[in-house]
Amino acid sequence: MLWRFATLLFLAASAFAQKPSFTVGWSVYAGWTPYHYMNKSGILRKWADKYGIAIKVQRFDYAPSLDAFVAKNIDACTMTNMEALDMPAASGVPTTAILVGDYSNGNDALLVRGGLQLKDLAGKKMLLVEKTVSEYLFDRAMTINGLRDQIKRVRMINTSDSDIATAFIGDTSASAVVTWKPMVSQIAKQKGVTSLFNSSQIPGEILDLTVVRTDVLARPDGAGQKFAKALTGAWYEMLAQMKDDKVLAGIAEGSQDTVASYKEQLSTTKMFYSPKEAADFGASADLKAKMALVRQFCFEHGLLGANTKAVDDVAIRYPDGTVQGKSDRVRLVFDVSYMQLAAQGKL
Amino acid sequence: MAAGFLLIHAKPGRAWSVALSWFLFLAGIGAYLWVAQARHRENPEDRVTPTVAQMAKGMYNAVMQPAEEDEQAAVEGGFLTRLSRSMLWKDTRATSRRFLYALVLLIPAVILGLHMGLFPYVGEFFLRFVLFFDKIVALSLLPILFIAFGIDELSKIMLIVIGVTPTIILDSFNLTRGVPAEQVVKAFTLGAGDFDVAYRVVLKQIAPRVLNSIRLNLKAVMLFLFAGEMIASQDGLAYRIALLRRHMGMDVIIPYVLWVALLLFLVDLAMRTVNRKLHPWFTEA
Repeated sequence: MLWRFATLLFLAASAFAQKPSFTVGWSVYAGWTPYHYMNKSGILRKWADKYGIAIKVQRFDYAPSLDAFVAKNIDACTMTNMEALDMPAASGVPTTAILVGDYSNGNDALLVRGGLQLKDLAGKKMLLVEKTVSEYLFDRAMTINGLRDQIKRVRMINTSDSDIATAFIGDTSASAVVTWKPMVSQIAKQKGVTSLFNSSQIPGEILDLTVVRTDVLARPDGAGQKFAKALTGAWYEMLAQMKDDKVLAGIAEGSQDTVASYKEQLSTTKMFYSPKEAADFGASADLKAKMALVRQFCFEHGLLGANTKAVDDVAIRYPDGTVQGKSDRVRLVFDVSYMQLAAQGKL
Repeated sequence: MAAGFLLIHAKPGRAWSVALSWFLFLAGIGAYLWVAQARHRENPEDRVTPTVAQMAKGMYNAVMQPAEEDEQAAVEGGFLTRLSRSMLWKDTRATSRRFLYALVLLIPAVILGLHMGLFPYVGEFFLRFVLFFDKIVALSLLPILFIAFGIDELSKIMLIVIGVTPTIILDSFNLTRGVPAEQVVKAFTLGAGDFDVAYRVVLKQIAPRVLNSIRLNLKAVMLFLFAGEMIASQDGLAYRIALLRRHMGMDVIIPYVLWVALLLFLVDLAMRTVNRKLHPWFTEA
């Protein structure tokens, strides 16, 4: 009896050990919280079983999730196109974007007090998390309005995102703030606060991706490919269910949020619900033009690292095979093949 | 080395004590270099563990170049002009200023503790509240601090004050209570007034211990200061570290951390020396 039990245990253990296991990290954001429901509802497990692998899902704060991905502690992670370029790619961890989930369509915004205009901001205090998409948004707002030479004259105060809403509301000497939802919603409710610019004015520039380490995809046993396919399959099955309020409630719970608030955030997030839409956007020439702006911004602000002497040293490869930068230094790859497989129903 | 070298009455020789006391430093540096080299062999662009050369270069730039947000025109001039405009100097100056303000604000805390210990009405008035306030986790009050004090210097200094003063008050209070009552009585019989007793008898006696207690709280002061700078600021050592962390600029962060450790060590040393000079009769600790 004991022997039988021991054998059983051994078999179970070895079966478990043989199954390749992968970890996905996600952080709270309207376009990423579906990972919570995908994991909880069993959708992900179903797809993982189909491909004979195990997938773990782990929630992080945003910055630590990037650190974990760069340190190779997790295999896949949610991040924006900008961070994909300036964190893993610029740290020599080749990265492949397999899912283009959404783009910020008003989630990020520049808000001001007392009816100021962009041209009035020189010399004023502005709160933001420096060196992130917030600074990118501000940079673009000023550039589009022909005020590029005034960017340096704005007094930026680096403020942690967890305290930025109270800091701006509490300190009336701060004239402007750049941040994202849900903080934007809280701040916008204040009297006398107006929005000057938001990400819907630069559609498709702040992309929210799911990326996988390129060396995981290239694993010789092919398990990395299975992982990417299972993740893609589960992702689009998940998105297809997002019309249902019960599902939305399950997702909102992942960030301790209410359905109403989650829906409000989704209204300013352009989700690519169908794999075809996402793959088409990922393969478009538009994406290249937008990434060119982003990588130039990253380079100018030193985000690609002190050792990166030229913007071309961290190159990006697109689905049509073209490369932005030096072709022997490709660090970020946009791969739409998994989304295309999903669109064709071949997963 | 005779048997029993691990026992209490062992007397390590000079060579041994030097070797032993530096061993962990060398082991730490060695382990770091080993890991850094291994990581760089695997990935030449690794930024998590910069090599010594990279750190030296990062630090050189921090010392010789102005901060990114400042005008780049300032790179001309002699060594001292460049140093005075450099990123490191700018950050150190901003952080030191806040640090000194916070230290100055600890002096009233000592006086309050003294009065609480000596004057029963003052004690009754404050003690319960300070005991309660001591248990408040200052960082959790941040939103209130922002609303009350804005996001400039004041809120950062108040964060330190709220975090550290209750400890100092209670410590001075306890030390005051520790002064034998006979001395107070004696001073009165010799014709001292209330404030003579407080400032010339009791404060004199507890001063070295109070200085020691402030010295031991330097790290708490620094911790709160760093938290404040990381949450909202436009200069300072922790501001730079927070900013560089966003793109893994470990080549500057590691030297910065060592620089902060050195500064703290020097402040600590200075306070110990001052304490010894001011109170040569005080031998404990």
